[in-house]
Amino acid sequence: MKTLRLMFAAIFIIVVVNAQDAKYVRAMEKNIAMIDSANKESAATIFQDGYNGFERIAGANPKEWLPLYYQSFCEVMIGLKQTENSKKDEYFDKAEALINKADSVKPDNSEIYVMKSFITSMKISVDPQNRGQKLGMKSGMLLGKAMQLDPENPRAYFLKGQGLLYTPEQFGGGKDKAIPVLETAVEKFKKFKPTSSIMPNWGESKCKAALEECKKPE
Amino acid sequence: MNRHLFLLLIFLFPSLLFAQTKISGMVSDKLGKPIPGANVFIKDSYDGMSTDVNGKFSFSSDERGEQIFSATFLGFESFVKKVTLDGTDVTLNISLKEAVSELKTVTISAGSFEASDEKKMTILRPLDIVTTAGANGDVYGALQTLPGTQQIGEKEGLYVRGGDASETRTIIDGIVVDNPYFSSVPDVPQRGRFSPFLFKGTSFSTGGYSAQYGQALSSVLVLESQDVVEQTSTNIGIMSVGVSAGRNIAFKKSSIGFYGGYTNLQPYMSLVPQNRDWDHAPEGGSGSVVFRQKTSQTGLLKGFVNYGYNTLALRFNDINDPTGETRNSFSLNNNNWFGNISYKEIIEKKWNLFTAFSFSDNKDDIHFDSIPISNHNNLYQGRATVSRGIGELSILRFGGEFQKPDVNQKYSIYPSMYRENFGAGFVEGDIYLTQKLVTRAGVRYEFSDVVGKANVAPRLSLAYKTGKYAQASFAYGDFYQTPDKTFLFRNPQLEYEKASHYIFNYQVVTEKRTFRVEAYFKQYDNLVKEVALAPSSGLDSLYTNFGNGYAKGFDIFWRDKQTLKYGDYWISYSYLDTKRDYHNFPITTTPSFAAKHTLSVVYKYFFPKLNLQAGFTYAYNSGRPYYNPNRPPSEFLSDYTKPYQNLSLNGSYLTSIHKNFTVIVFSITNVLGIENVFNYRYSADGMRRESIGQTSPRFFFVGMFINIGSQKDDSDKYN
Repeated sequence: MKTLRLMFAAIFIIVVVNAQDAKYVRAMEKNIAMIDSANKESAATIFQDGYNGFERIAGANPKEWLPLYYQSFCEVMIGLKQTENSKKDEYFDKAEALINKADSVKPDNSEIYVMKSFITSMKISVDPQNRGQKLGMKSGMLLGKAMQLDPENPRAYFLKGQGLLYTPEQFGGGKDKAIPVLETAVEKFKKFKPTSSIMPNWGESKCKAALEECKKPE
Repeated sequence: MNRHLFLLLIFLFPSLLFAQTKISGMVSDKLGKPIPGANVFIKDSYDGMSTDVNGKFSFSSDERGEQIFSATFLGFESFVKKVTLDGTDVTLNISLKEAVSELKTVTISAGSFEASDEKKMTILRPLDIVTTAGANGDVYGALQTLPGTQQIGEKEGLYVRGGDASETRTIIDGIVVDNPYFSSVPDVPQRGRFSPFLFKGTSFSTGGYSAQYGQALSSVLVLESQDVVEQTSTNIGIMSVGVSAGRNIAFKKSSIGFYGGYTNLQPYMSLVPQNRDWDHAPEGGSGSVVFRQKTSQTGLLKGFVNYGYNTLALRFNDINDPTGETRNSFSLNNNNWFGNISYKEIIEKKWNLFTAFSFSDNKDDIHFDSIPISNHNNLYQGRATVSRGIGELSILRFGGEFQKPDVNQKYSIYPSMYRENFGAGFVEGDIYLTQKLVTRAGVRYEFSDVVGKANVAPRLSLAYKTGKYAQASFAYGDFYQTPDKTFLFRNPQLEYEKASHYIFNYQVVTEKRTFRVEAYFKQYDNLVKEVALAPSSGLDSLYTNFGNGYAKGFDIFWRDKQTLKYGDYWISYSYLDTKRDYHNFPITTTPSFAAKHTLSVVYKYFFPKLNLQAGFTYAYNSGRPYYNPNRPPSEFLSDYTKPYQNLSLNGSYLTSIHKNFTVIVFSITNVLGIENVFNYRYSADGMRRESIGQTSPRFFFVGMFINIGSQKDDSDKYN
């Protein structure tokens, strides 16, 4: 009888834990699918809904870094849709705070460093003249760290290539410089297999588009 | 049924037992405007949704009992409320409170110009200072394009709203800088000692400033140095007037920087004709070490040491020699040390502590003809400030400072000495009555050993946000200053000089445009005045505190970064009406440093295709009074110079050399070669005069600055 009770207890725990896990994964999958469906017109609402969803999941799963990561990503995407610079900054600041929180939950994660670099680049775009030099270096450093942590992370190469594409030739950028990096990124995207259904897996189509843009004759 | 199985079933299918609770309602802002996209949810659960376009929501939750309901949206404070979920519908109509944000909060603005990287909306950015034509990378040069300052070309210093240069103080990280400029040379204006790149924030007050500072009748320039540097990099500068190099090394929580420079104007001056007769063109060197350490999440220790020397020699006509053959000579050797260390930390929750300590030492060895003159002064000082946040916005500050200057001068064989112990304390509160209305009230207490008396100076400012981007403010304050030591040498009984400021300010600051207008009145009392004595007294004159004066006027500032896509310009205009009776003035009149109308136009344009930023600065001021000994005392300073005009150009070309960020800078000051006259010097008999003008018709500068970021892009390694 005692053994039976113990067995029940064990099953109980496993079932409960699995049920919670499954619930978390399901909720994440649902939200990720939603933000993946965003198009130009629906982006603002969808990313806001997505953000809200991830915020709820993050609240219920304070030890998970992924909800914070996606929250941050949504906030950047909403920020990009803003017309006022001060509004953009508000969203990017919030995105930065969220990714820093994710970093403290899960230190030394390549994807988190990619996101940090992405946010930094978006901050530069608000006021390139005053922020370019200082934040430009920071953004590069963060990408370097992302590559160091996971040399196979395609998103790190994609952002680097995209950065080069939008950097004038005089500063070591330009299409010619961007092409090999974007090609590496495309290769790495091909090989990339996310370790689970809810791991970051974005950027491939945008990366291909950027490469096409580079190869387009002037 | 087995008890355990029953429990398991309950857990897996709670809805079998409990009904869901429906939660619905609406989210709006304080004015009742619906907020779409807000997140409404039961905390720590998955249950919730986003509000629809009308701010409405309705969802069900399986949770039971007492739960926390939350509503969030960026820019608003999170709403939380305890709710009991028991199957009965819950209706919630929520009004979210706007979060306190910098943009929506009124700031104390009367009298102040700020350049900051950290604030979202500021009139200037630190980079603006470096890229202003005519300023040649000098902080003080750039400030002369702001309203309220005079364009003085024959000597250094900031002359603010009818005040002379001694009425402005420079403060770095809470510490007064005794010698912010290179040592004075007759008729040759000097630059500031410190590079604008050292600072992340500049706050220039043209009056009505905080009780934290004192001993400046007109103005304070408050500079805040850079924090921990995050990237290791090396800078090299090659200029037409010298070379510079610097290396910053970044560690995890600290950084250390080494900078050195050498300037020598000899090669430049042999190419470009000069209006002064140089025996030894200005030559100098400097070195500094900047140390930063994060002592905790919130603590920061900063250390800065700078050493500089410079040497020069030049000759002047002796105006008193009618043949014009006698030449007077002037030579200067200067050695200057400045060091400060500061520490800030948040202690407890809302208490901020700031402490700073500094030592500076300045030595001038001058030969005026064959007469040796030496000036040796050092200054110890310290400051401690404690501040505490009250509520979300209000702040209470108090603190104190001490200064211990020690001055030894020697003129030929006659020494003079000046020792002082100065202490001050202050209390000040920024009290936000609402997010739109703030008052800053403070009082400052000072005691000077030399004066032997204390003074108490009240300060008061009010600011009210009148619109989304507009605000009006008012400032009042009393300001005291210990008389200059040259007067105290003559009469140690002198008392504090005093000024009272009244300032009205209205400004509209948007992201791309700034409009600012300010009117002011300034009353001077107890100014040092030389009173002639009857010959029977055996003395020529006596120094007293009988002087007084006033300054009144208005400033207008307009900056526009919007109209032209890659263009940015600002226009400053100042009207100044000032008179004073002080020093050796026989009557009350306008002093020689005051021009009635001052105008400057600064224009910058970025050519993106060329990676070139080019700009010009046009400066104008109406004539300034000068002293003509041929006039009776009743007409003292009644002659005026011609108006002053100056057009300067500059450009910076951004490029890279071996992937290292490089800027090539050029500038031409006074392109049109206008021969401006700042003042005249007369012979003792009034028979001859010479004009005091620019040191050269034009000034050319070319420089190349390379930033070798050893970690410019870590990602390069992985290609």
